[in-house]
Amino acid sequence: MEHTNHSDLLPDVLRQGIVVFVFLAALTALEFFVAVEIGTLVLLAAIAVVKVGLILYYYMHIYRLNSQDGDLDRHEYQYKLGTNRIGLWLFLLSDSFIFGGLFVSRFNLLGVQPIPLASDSQYIALTITSVLLLSSFFMNRAEVSMEHGSRRGFVFGIASTMILGLIFLVGVVVVEWPSAINAGVTPSSNAAGSIFFIMTGMHAFHVLTGVIFLGIVLRNGLRGVYSPERHWAVEAATIYWHFVDVIWVFFYSALYLVGKLI
Amino acid sequence: MKKFFTSALIRGLLWQLIGWIVGVLFLTGIRMLMGLPPLVSGQYLFTEPAWVFGALVGAVSYVAGTGAMTDWFKWAKGEDVPEHREDPPGWEKYINVSLDHKVIGIQYTVTALFLLSIGGLFALIFRAELAHSGLQFLSLTTYNTLMSLHGIIMIIGILLGVAGMINYLTPLLVGAQDMAFPRLNAFSYWLAPPATIIMLTVLLFGGVDTGWWGYPPLSEQAPLGMQMFFLSVAVAGWSSILGALNMLATVLRMRTQGMTGMRMPIFVWSAIATSLISLTATQLIGLAFQLVMFSRMLGMGFFDAAKGGNPILFQHLFWFYSHPAVYVFVLPGFGIISELLPVFARKPLFGYRFVAMASLGIALVGFLVWAHHMFASGMNPYLRVPFMFSTLLVAVPTGVKFFSWVATLWKGKIETPTPMLFTIGAIVVFLLGGLSGPPNATVATDLHLNNTYWIVGHFHDTMFGGYIFPFFAAIYYWFPKATGRKLNETMGKIHFWMMTPSFLVLTLLMMRVGLLGMRRRVADYDPALGFDNYHLVMTIAGFLIALSVLLFFYNLIVSVKHGELATDNVWHSRSPEWQVPSPMPVHNYDRPFEVVGEPYDYGLPGSVYVKFKENKSKAHK
Repeated sequence: MEHTNHSDLLPDVLRQGIVVFVFLAALTALEFFVAVEIGTLVLLAAIAVVKVGLILYYYMHIYRLNSQDGDLDRHEYQYKLGTNRIGLWLFLLSDSFIFGGLFVSRFNLLGVQPIPLASDSQYIALTITSVLLLSSFFMNRAEVSMEHGSRRGFVFGIASTMILGLIFLVGVVVVEWPSAINAGVTPSSNAAGSIFFIMTGMHAFHVLTGVIFLGIVLRNGLRGVYSPERHWAVEAATIYWHFVDVIWVFFYSALYLVGKLI
Repeated sequence: MKKFFTSALIRGLLWQLIGWIVGVLFLTGIRMLMGLPPLVSGQYLFTEPAWVFGALVGAVSYVAGTGAMTDWFKWAKGEDVPEHREDPPGWEKYINVSLDHKVIGIQYTVTALFLLSIGGLFALIFRAELAHSGLQFLSLTTYNTLMSLHGIIMIIGILLGVAGMINYLTPLLVGAQDMAFPRLNAFSYWLAPPATIIMLTVLLFGGVDTGWWGYPPLSEQAPLGMQMFFLSVAVAGWSSILGALNMLATVLRMRTQGMTGMRMPIFVWSAIATSLISLTATQLIGLAFQLVMFSRMLGMGFFDAAKGGNPILFQHLFWFYSHPAVYVFVLPGFGIISELLPVFARKPLFGYRFVAMASLGIALVGFLVWAHHMFASGMNPYLRVPFMFSTLLVAVPTGVKFFSWVATLWKGKIETPTPMLFTIGAIVVFLLGGLSGPPNATVATDLHLNNTYWIVGHFHDTMFGGYIFPFFAAIYYWFPKATGRKLNETMGKIHFWMMTPSFLVLTLLMMRVGLLGMRRRVADYDPALGFDNYHLVMTIAGFLIALSVLLFFYNLIVSVKHGELATDNVWHSRSPEWQVPSPMPVHNYDRPFEVVGEPYDYGLPGSVYVKFKENKSKAHK
């Protein structure tokens, strides 16, 4: 695929990216207001699951695991691509057990009581959550651009994702943590503070590794290492990034929305 | 000798030392910048976070220093790397980074044997102390440290042994050239040596007195060694997780033509079940230990009741892995038993499908039983009942396997070379371990048996029957495949006939004194209990086991060079790896094969399992 028509690119991005993002944004807003007004755990959980399903299917294209390549030579790139996908998804399955353990610990220690954060924290959290969702949109755009051979779109998408990821990190570490400490929620104050810092910290660590991964992919992309046919590293970075996003969907609810908040 | 000192093993050690020092100094510097006290008065000079960070940097430096990550760095820089890398001929490939699964499998196995010997040595030391009531030569702290390290080092050793068997055998059994991710495979292995080093430094940092489970609040107050203990388990845990990932991807993607699910050698099924547990549950022991590490470093309150924390939470997280972990150990052992019995009974494996599914059944039910370790912990009493029933449920798939083994032996033409002896020994010993299980699973009896030597006897029977005996069987059985020479049969038989009775005496006496009220984990006991003679016999039995294992090591070392040549199908097996000459060629199968029949149709005339194709595959360099 040497030449790509730009009018082909747009509808694809529209279909896969913007529509999903709008759904995610609407669902996040709904989550936020449901928690503030009603505080129903079941409804929160249902919305979170729908969000995760959207991301898994459209952004992380989980269906690609089912690649029909059994008749290919084991040494062909396409066959290895399928193996790599399985490896990455197994890794994500494993990693999700750490987050699952933290998630369960939060409810074991605090029940459905909210973490006693300052009321500002609600708005900080909503902002950084939006930033992370938006970054997923750009990540998706970068991947689709790579598949269509649009180098400019790829570089723009990855760079935007990295910047938004860094804004998320700053939001958590520089804005939200001091705000929580001011409200008396510190790592050593009590179990609620401990679980708040370990959950946000563990997630932020994963975002940081994702940003580093994206940096490597961006550098190699600029040097022309990837092509529309061969860009497993881009796909892996994309899926990993969306995975970290999926985790935050659950963590955001568990840390900020559970319990009647404002 | 020069080759030894420039090997990856030694380079890694040097890098680990450098990394450790740099890490300690780096974090101390950060503390100075943050205005925190950089040093502490007392034994260890630097602060606890500095030591922990240093150990972590040291572990990563070790792996980077060996060169196991070099290809990944090249990928990150956008450079191409060749798909295969040829190993140099000779022994030095075993102490350097190799991508060949057979080399890595042997590296794992040798490391496992080393760790098991260290763990066994610790056991001998405190077993000698226990031979007589009163404190002879160990202090209470040293006893606790040795007892804790015996537990955890044996566990890591067994995990590495499992990884060794899986690595060596899986690609051969499914007809692959290598694992799905050879570099990840090497990386997983090279995490093990630094983990071992960190674990041994526990002895330098004041030891641990918590047992291998490290429950808070005790582990939050233990000496600095506790942190090294936790960190080492975390590093070894990642090795186990990545190994399991690799194994699953290999089975999913690398099977040869015709190797459908129900025609795979049965060991592969148990390896799948084991890997599913390692892949997922291991994260939770890592998490539990990390939470304590952070609690100690930052004063976090997850498990501190005064801060609204819950110490029971740790036990839930911990046992969610650590109970299924015993299935991680025994499932490959069961796989070996099911693999070897038909070969030596010259009969089809009875109920292949049920045996395969029983492995998965044990793994899945194993996820639902963890709280049976906590009947006396103070958790919600009503939770005991479902966990009691789920635990008893494990006996069903395990029973399926036992009936299959017995039915396979039934009217077979049984031969008893050393591998078969160990297989039968495994069945007998695991039967004892299995039968002594339900009394512990039942709440009413467990409340009495909890924390007694009965439990110690029970789990040593399951570990030996489920893992150690099959491990020895596997080594005797596949040694010719790996080296082209047989282990000495006479020494093997002496090994078996010395180890098995001693072991049975040891564990049966453990159960006996346990029922009479002997507490576990204690350095001393009241002479008035009248256990002195029992303990003396147990100690002698323990030393006899050690002696038999020494004989086994001697046999290994001698037979590698001078053993009887065995280059063809020594055991008359139908399995694909025995249809090619030993030792195994570098790229496994020169000609691809196709599976055309059932794997275990021994004794059925005219049945074929694998058919080798004409050689038209191109050589992959």
